[in-house]
Order: sequence, then structure tokens, then C-alpha cells
Amino acid sequence: MDQHDRMITRRRFLKTAAAGVALGLSGSSLFSEAKEEYDLVAISGEPVAATRKAIEAMGGISRFVKKGQRVVLKPNMSFARTSDFGATTHPLVVATVAQACLEVGAKQILVLDHTLQRAELCLERTGIREACKNIPGVHVLTLQDRKFFREIKIPQGKVLERVEIMKEILDGQVLINLPVAKSHSATGVSLGIKGLMGLIWDRESFHTQYNINQALADLATVIKPQLTILDATRALASGGPGGPGEVKKPNLIIAGVDPVAVDSYGVSVVPWYGQNFKGRQVEHLLMAHQRGLGKIDIDQLKILMEKV
Amino acid sequence: MRKFLQTISLLFFTAFFVFATYKLPDWFPADIYLRLDPLLGLNAVFAAREIIGRALWALITIGATLVIGRFFCAYVCPMGASIDFLDFLFFRKKKRLGLKSEAVLRKTKLFLLIIFVSAALIGLSLAFLMDPMALLTRFYTFFIYPLVITLINLFLDLLRPLFQALGWITLSHLHYPQPVYYMSAITLLIFGGIITLNLLTPRFWCRYLCPLGALLSLISPLGLFKRRVNEDCNECLKCQKACAMGAVPDNPRETLFPECIQCRTCAKVCPQEAISFSASFSHSAGGEYLYTNFSRRGFLYSLTGGLAVGFLATQTPFALRQSKHQLIRPPGAIPETEFLRTCIRCGECMKSCLTNTLQPCLWESGFSGLWTPKLDLRLAPCEQNCNVCGKVCPTQAIRSLSLDEKTHAKIGTAILRKEMCLVWAQNKLCLICDEICPYNAIVFRPVEGYRRPFVIASKCNGCGFCEQRCPVRGESAIVVVTNGEIRLKEGSYIKEAKKLELEFKPDPGDDKFILEESGFKVEEKKEGKKSVPKEEKPQPKKPKGFL
Repeated sequence: MDQHDRMITRRRFLKTAAAGVALGLSGSSLFSEAKEEYDLVAISGEPVAATRKAIEAMGGISRFVKKGQRVVLKPNMSFARTSDFGATTHPLVVATVAQACLEVGAKQILVLDHTLQRAELCLERTGIREACKNIPGVHVLTLQDRKFFREIKIPQGKVLERVEIMKEILDGQVLINLPVAKSHSATGVSLGIKGLMGLIWDRESFHTQYNINQALADLATVIKPQLTILDATRALASGGPGGPGEVKKPNLIIAGVDPVAVDSYGVSVVPWYGQNFKGRQVEHLLMAHQRGLGKIDIDQLKILMEKV
Repeated sequence: MRKFLQTISLLFFTAFFVFATYKLPDWFPADIYLRLDPLLGLNAVFAAREIIGRALWALITIGATLVIGRFFCAYVCPMGASIDFLDFLFFRKKKRLGLKSEAVLRKTKLFLLIIFVSAALIGLSLAFLMDPMALLTRFYTFFIYPLVITLINLFLDLLRPLFQALGWITLSHLHYPQPVYYMSAITLLIFGGIITLNLLTPRFWCRYLCPLGALLSLISPLGLFKRRVNEDCNECLKCQKACAMGAVPDNPRETLFPECIQCRTCAKVCPQEAISFSASFSHSAGGEYLYTNFSRRGFLYSLTGGLAVGFLATQTPFALRQSKHQLIRPPGAIPETEFLRTCIRCGECMKSCLTNTLQPCLWESGFSGLWTPKLDLRLAPCEQNCNVCGKVCPTQAIRSLSLDEKTHAKIGTAILRKEMCLVWAQNKLCLICDEICPYNAIVFRPVEGYRRPFVIASKCNGCGFCEQRCPVRGESAIVVVTNGEIRLKEGSYIKEAKKLELEFKPDPGDDKFILEESGFKVEEKKEGKKSVPKEEKPQPKKPKGFL
């Protein structure tokens, strides 16, 4: 992945934005917020409104997606469950982000996942396909065959030296991660970084061959979403990743550029399995943090908390 | 005209076959060709000894045959259409080898019919072996369908660069899951054999073997439309040569009415235009109305044969084991004995199965279980949001159930094979069965210092997600056995499950037990080896049975 180049571009873009070049953003009040850059935003509210607000507070989607670009959205639609189970990303969150990308002129928006259960059922039951049906240029797809994946090397990999990931995210596209907040029986929680596993071909080896936490940190060194929007409108506080389990309703949308920070904040929003945890207590997050992939101590971050 | 109708019918058959899939609307009779087949209906009704609602559709065919004649074979039967079409493709220009003892051979199909019917009377469903509708549906399911999917995927792969260049996103990512079946090769061999027999005479199958044709030929001479030859006939015998069914005897003015399928080829080839197929109540047309030369001995032999086959196939150790059979049957399958009698082995359920877990049996439950559906849960689980197998079952050997009813139609219970389980045998950290279980029927409890999986039988409905996902190589360490399956001929599965105190509903269950090993670093337990949880004695506070 050509990550480095894009980071520079983004920074340059932000400078330009700060210099006050109007970019036709709807609602100019957001702009003042964009100037004041937050590490994280946590917006409380209904899925659509909260997602919109979170995007705005992050500086607008145009900070991440430029006209003519191709965008990959990665929600969690791995389970054939309706959204009230809390095992999959809320369809309205996905649709809202897709709509936002469209509004700034994205050429093509792919909503992708490699589902765990039967793809057809996942697309249908999660409601994500239905929610995106009428948005032009948006394609909700599951890639269930090896031919759609390509092997890449992981230079910083500790247990994982190479991994087959979706070709679509290799070709210089914008990747926006849209995980759902849920518990996970092997990794504690499944948030943004764990959600990256939906972009690779061979998930099984993570569970059987490697230390899954270490492998996830390895994976996070090569797949770096430009933006993570964590859907914590519902949180599956136990019984994850597939549910059924206890579904709590934090009504939160958490967005940020730093994947570790978003996840770390996500850990704090509900008690998991009836107990409160911090990001540091989640092994794969701690490992990702220690490898310089992001900040884990949320009390040192600048966070915008708002209700819509 | 005939070819047109035949093609339409074959296309309809194919379309209905394609529609037999997940999301089939309740009202849509995807199995209509099988329902219309009077032989399958008769077979199932006789063998099961009760009236089967869907089998009554066959009365339409019977009625139409009584009115019109044996038109079914020429115009409707998709098997006949396939035979005609493939015959045209492969054997059109070949010299046929021909047969000598025509009249004797022709009776074969009647003997077969008698064998099948008498076997059904004894309680053995056997007609599926040779019924054209069941045979063709099986061939479609086990051979054509997987082949077509392969070809479509190949085609998509070839054109993928083009789709990508054109920016057709959906097409450039399209890929169909490949269905796979046991017994594809056997099914192909049988079908191939039937087609190859055309080398001897055209429509060899229809002339000599098809038991459905035999059944229809018993009543078809009563039909209104008949072949009639007027005085212009000069006995050139062109009609005799052209008749695919061999229904024109040496005196071409006569007709073997049971054999005539009213394809009207003879009328077309007749240079004198002496042949007509007009409707009339009078029996003025000359020819044979019944198999007059059908010998009593032949009848007795085939009757005895059928009864003997029925006896041999049903009186086996398998029969004694039927209440303790090992096969996981589809949810909603009626009790095993009745199931074997009612199932017509069309393969429609296996075609429609969303996850491809339904597979045909070979000898697993004896001859009487040939081609019956079983779940191969190591291959794929039974999807809880799908109930299509019952919907498409033409004899309702698998009952058509609502999703909620189907959830309660427990097909078995998972058991852990501790000697193979990574956690039990090797103290490894593995939670996959628990993670994947849709009903939280698997819990972890501390035993000897480790959290180990247990199955709560009353919450397990046998869907097999655990068996399929178990990471142990080869055979799974958690397998679904038929223990606890619910097989009801009638009545509500929900009620039955309640009566048995079973509960298949999403429930958080005992998930609190897995906290320590769920990837969180629990601080209090960080100090070295103390993190191993203490063994909780599973003993309740009071002895069992006391409140």
C-alpha cells in the first residue's frame, strides 16, 4: 500500500483547508471545528444524525475523499444477523458515509467484506445492501473467492510475514473502516483493527496457527484506513462476535484517524462481559500501540463529545 | 408445433428447477413437475399408506390423459424432450442397430411398473429408480447444476478484465459458490446410459423402460384423440419407419394405441395424407387397445419380483435400526420409516439447499435409503434463516415449515469428542464452536485449571455450525448425532420442543465464564500463575432433584 504518499497529501490538504480555502462544504459552521483538529470525536445520537455530525466534526469527508477518487467502505457484515443483534454495522451508518462520499464526488464507492456466513444471507439480513440500494455509484459486495485477493508482504510482521488481502484496497483507494462495537470471544473486543480481518482471505490461520493478537497487530501495519468510524450505536457486550448476546445501546458514533485511539475509546464505552476495561487491557490494541500504530491512552487525547 | 411445446416444457422444467432455491416464495410450486407425475404420487401414496396433498396434483395428468391420450410423453415430459434433443444431436445420422424381439421388450416397462407398484405396497419406495421426473431432476441437481455454475464462473473469469475495463463493478466481482455433490458420477452414468440406448432405437427409454409411460399407456387408449388411417393408405410403411415409439404395426392401418404418444410424425410423413388425429368418442379406429398379449405369467413374475424386492430391501438390519439411524435428516423430515417410504429421491431439496449441506446417501441406510438426503455438517451447516428444503419437497417427506417451526425441528445434538478437542486434549485456547453457535448451546466451564467447552443439549438444535467450523483437521472434534432429534409427522415442532423443555433462542447464556480468556488482560489476575481460574465444582448446592 502506498500509505506514505497519501499521508502527505492529507496533511497538505489540511493545511490548505486551514488556510480557509472554501471547498463547498455544506454547513460552514463545521469548518470552524475542522480548524480545531480533534484526535477523536464521539457523537451521541441516532445513527444518521450522529454519523453525519461525526464526519463533519472530523473536518468533513472531503478531508479524506477527493473528487474522482475511489473509496472502499469496510463495514462489518460478516454475520447473517439483523442490526439489532449488534453483530454487524448499522446499515444507516454505512449508507450515511456512502452518501457523504458521493456528495464530495467520489467516483466509485465499494462496500466490501469477506463474510463469515453465507454471503447472500449476510447481504440480505444485515440490511446494508438494502440501505445502499438507491445511492448511485455504491456497490455492496462480498468477495468470497480467492481470486479477488492478492498476497502482500508484511515487512514489520512478527508472526505474519505475508497475507492475502482484497485487491480492491491495494490499488490506491481510500479505505474507510466502519466497524461495529462488539465483544469477541478470542480478542476481547472486535472493533476497527479486528474488523480488518474482513479484508483478508485466510482468517482461519489467525485463530488456529498464530497468536491472533500479534497477527492483528501485524495486519494493522499494512492495512491503514484513512478514517475509522466506529458504530457504537449498539454494542454487543457479550456473546460476540456473532451473538446472540447482551446488546447495550451507547448510541455513539466514534470517529478518528488513529485506529488504535478509536478502538481504545470504543473499549471504554460499555462494560464488556459485565466488567469495565481500558484499551490497554485489550491485548491486540496494546500490541498495536506498542508498535507505534496509534495512541492508546484516551485521557491524553483531544476528544470532541457532543450530542445531536 | 410438437417440438415447440416440448422445448417450452423443458424450459419450464429448467426454470422451475432454477427457482427451487433460498427465498422461494411460499406460493410458488417449484416442484410442480414432480407433483404432476402420477407414478411418483402413486408410489408415495401406496408406500406411505396415506393421501399426500401434493400428490393429488397428479390427478391433473391422469385426467388429461383420460381425455386426450398419452400426449404427456410427446409434449410435456422433459425427459422425453431431453432424449429427443440429444438424439437429434448425437444419433441423427447414425445407423440404428435395431432390435428383434420388439413386442417382448415393450412389455418390460409394464413389468417394471408392476414391480415398483408392488414394492410400494410393501412399503418400499422404488419408483424413483426409473421415474423420468425424479431421474431428470436428480441429473439436473447432481450434474447439470454444478456444471453450469462452474461454466458460469469460468465465463465470468474470462470476461472479468473486460468488465473491469468497462467499470461494471458488480459483474467484475461476481462469483457463484460452487455446489458439490456425492454421486454426481453415478447419476451421469445412468443418464448417459439412457441416452446411449437410443443407438438401438429412437426413444428406447420411452418405448421399453419408462414406468411412467407404462402407467399412462394403461389409460391412454380411452382418450378422445386417436390415430386414424383412411382408405388412401397404400401401405408404403413410411409411417412405421418414422414412428419413434414403434406404435405402427405391420398393418399400418392399425395402431398400437397404448404406445402411441400422438406426436403426429406419421401424419407428417404420409405421402398419401391418409393419417389424421381427430377427436371422436367412437372406437372405430383399428388397432390394439390394451396389451392383449400381456401374459399372466409375466404379471405374476413381476408382481412376485416387486414383492420380493420390497421384502429384501425393507427386512434388513437397517430396518431394525431405523429408530436409531445415524444419518442427520433435514429439519422437518417425518419419522424415519415414513420418511424412507415417502421420499421420492428427486434431489430437489439438495438442489435448493442454501449451504449445500444436503447430500445424497449411497448405502448408508441400506438399499431403501438410496439417494435420500442427509446433512453433511462437516461440509456445511444448516442455515437457521432458511427453510427451503421443505418448501420444494413434492411428497412432503420433508415438511414445509415456517422459519420458527423449522428452528424447533431439532435435527440432532452436538457432542464433544474430548480426545480430539484442542481444549480438552491439548489444553489449547480455542473457542470457535462457542463463537459460531447461533443458540449459545456451548459454554465454557473450568475443569482442571482450564476453561473447557460443554454442550448444553437442551439448547442445541443440531444446526452443525460447530461441526463445520471446528479447526481440528479431518473429522471434527464436535459432531452432531441424531440423539434428541424431533421427527413429527404432524403437529407443531414448537409445542413439541416446549414439551421437551428445549429452548433454541438467542440468549447470552453463560458467556460470563469466558471473560478471563477472552483477550482482555484482567489486572487482578495478572500475578503469575494465579490467573488460572480455580476449579468450580459443578456440584449444585443441594443434591440433584431437591429444590
